[in-house]
Amino acid sequence: MSSLSARLLVSVSLLLIFFFGATIVVLDSAFREAGEQAQEDILDTQLMALIAEAEPNAKGELEMPFALREPRFGNLGSGLFGALMDESDTPVWTSRSSLGLDVPYGPRPASGAHSFSRVTLPDGTPLMALSLHVQWELASGELKPYTFSVAQSLDSFNAQLKSFRRQLFTWFGAIALIMLFSISIVMRSLLKPLRQIESEITEIEAGRREALSDDFPDELSSVARNMNVLVGSERGRSERYRNTLDNLAHSLKTPLAAIRSILTEQRSSELTQRVEAQIERMNDIVRYQLRKPSTVKTESFGVVAVPVDQELRKLVDGLHKVYKDKHPAILVDVTEGILFRGDTGDFLELAGNLLDNACKWCKSKVSLTIRPLPGASVDSGGMRMIVDDDGPGIPDDARDALLQRGMRLDESAPGHGIGLAVVKDIATSYGGDILISQSEFGGARITVTVNPQ
Amino acid sequence: MRLLVIEDDTTLRESLCRQLAEAGFGVEQAADGREGLYFALEYPVDLAIVDLGLPEISGLDVIREVRDKGKTYPILILTARDRWQDKVDGLDAGADDYVVKPFHYEEVSARVNALLRRSGGWASSVLSAGPVTLDTTRQELKVNNAEIELTSYEYRIIEHLMMRAGEVISKTELTDRLYDQDFERDSNVIEVFIGRLRKKMDPDNSIKPIETLRGRGYRFALDRNQAG
Repeated sequence: MSSLSARLLVSVSLLLIFFFGATIVVLDSAFREAGEQAQEDILDTQLMALIAEAEPNAKGELEMPFALREPRFGNLGSGLFGALMDESDTPVWTSRSSLGLDVPYGPRPASGAHSFSRVTLPDGTPLMALSLHVQWELASGELKPYTFSVAQSLDSFNAQLKSFRRQLFTWFGAIALIMLFSISIVMRSLLKPLRQIESEITEIEAGRREALSDDFPDELSSVARNMNVLVGSERGRSERYRNTLDNLAHSLKTPLAAIRSILTEQRSSELTQRVEAQIERMNDIVRYQLRKPSTVKTESFGVVAVPVDQELRKLVDGLHKVYKDKHPAILVDVTEGILFRGDTGDFLELAGNLLDNACKWCKSKVSLTIRPLPGASVDSGGMRMIVDDDGPGIPDDARDALLQRGMRLDESAPGHGIGLAVVKDIATSYGGDILISQSEFGGARITVTVNPQ
Repeated sequence: MRLLVIEDDTTLRESLCRQLAEAGFGVEQAADGREGLYFALEYPVDLAIVDLGLPEISGLDVIREVRDKGKTYPILILTARDRWQDKVDGLDAGADDYVVKPFHYEEVSARVNALLRRSGGWASSVLSAGPVTLDTTRQELKVNNAEIELTSYEYRIIEHLMMRAGEVISKTELTDRLYDQDFERDSNVIEVFIGRLRKKMDPDNSIKPIETLRGRGYRFALDRNQAG
């Protein structure tokens, strides 16, 4: 079970079932005992009343009057029965209410003793019976044993008990439901900050947010703070890495530039050419190795959302300046609001290299199209960039070789090969790919996909 | 044409400046951003070459400041940072082109010439006005298709005048562009050079390419040919 609220609800439900169950059992048995005691007291009273009305007749035998003071003894179906038995357990008198019924009164108690018993009528009605065995002293002074018995139907008592139980379950059930409902509401508000942290982390991963907000409750604020420190250091790490590479590139290339400049002053000699070749080699190594993609895909906390059209505008303005003489038409067609999820530098590196190559090789026309991948939304980061030019194009057999590191087709246009190899590396690090084909303009078409879902 | 080179690496800066001077440019040099910014704002400059990684004030800030102060001359960036982000930042700050280190001198000189030509409103490296054509890459002057021999000072003057054809250029500006600072300045020398140029280009005084505006300076007076 992974959800905290589900865990809490299940535990609370189990506890409620246990406590309420125990309470129900205790209340039920207390109610039943009190009820039974009351029933016994009533039977006792009825028995005493019966004894009080018995009179010995002229033959020296006990007799019951025709009409008893308790009218229920005389009514059929009243549920109250009475009987008087002689020493041989033969009924001397039975109440009119028991007419036609063979009411059992339980075993005969010892002389002078009470005896309660639970009995059942042949039709299944439960009864509570009380018998008293007495030695009746007749006028002659003779003692004669008699057994007085009363029995009362438990139907109404059982009905009461049933209704009490029903109420007990109804009320406790309702209370339990109300409690669970209230707890789930409380849980929801208690867990809200946790859900907020969760959604904010998702936003950070997706690049829609820079850091966690600082309005969390005390218990969570230190978690949020530490999380922000972690996110910050993660970002700082990739930035430091990039700066180190930049500084390294700078400190290697300036001396190379100085050597090259001095060589040029020496005019050509065999030595100059040989050193020049080595400089070129070193430069290629530095350029390729130090322009590697800055974002490794796993560093998800370094990812931000780059507004594509804004960055492209700056890039295209720059290219217009650089290619002012050639003055190519650069057509940019970008889905509105599309976002690149990753490092800004990586995006500029992709678009910059592709457009620069296209401007370099085109006759007069370059086009860049950026669309979300099929099925992806504009802010998902999954996109396809297509760059076309109307230049000479790239022959089939050279396409694979061009994507190898630093391979060049034409030495006279430096950087073509490295540019594409860098684009390929970046696209790959974003889980994408690069494809070289023929453009409908007649030149090369380069298709790059990044962040496929 | 006067160039300003701001580069902190001494060997590279001095070598680059030597070669630019040899090619006929007047060259000012600065070793850090602060000095470079001062020169860029206070000295007569036709084009600045700025390294992005400078001590004191970064190259980007120098460019921004120069543009903020309203200077419009072209700026060429030297950058060791090969990433597009840096190039775009530089161009966005106000630079006009970039060269990535380690460059060949020819690359720098080609960009410098192209930028200067463009800043004068010329689309091609061959400036052509009336019967006069000046090929700035080969440093050749032709009048009616006949090549005219020029000394390097004469070439620099006609190049400067033609680059900014139609504008009045003062004697002081011409002197500034002609000599490095250490030289003794004498504006009479300019008059002598202008006289010689007129004689060489227009011996029978028929096309009158250079106009004298008394007390104000000189102007290249021929209309630019559309194609050039």
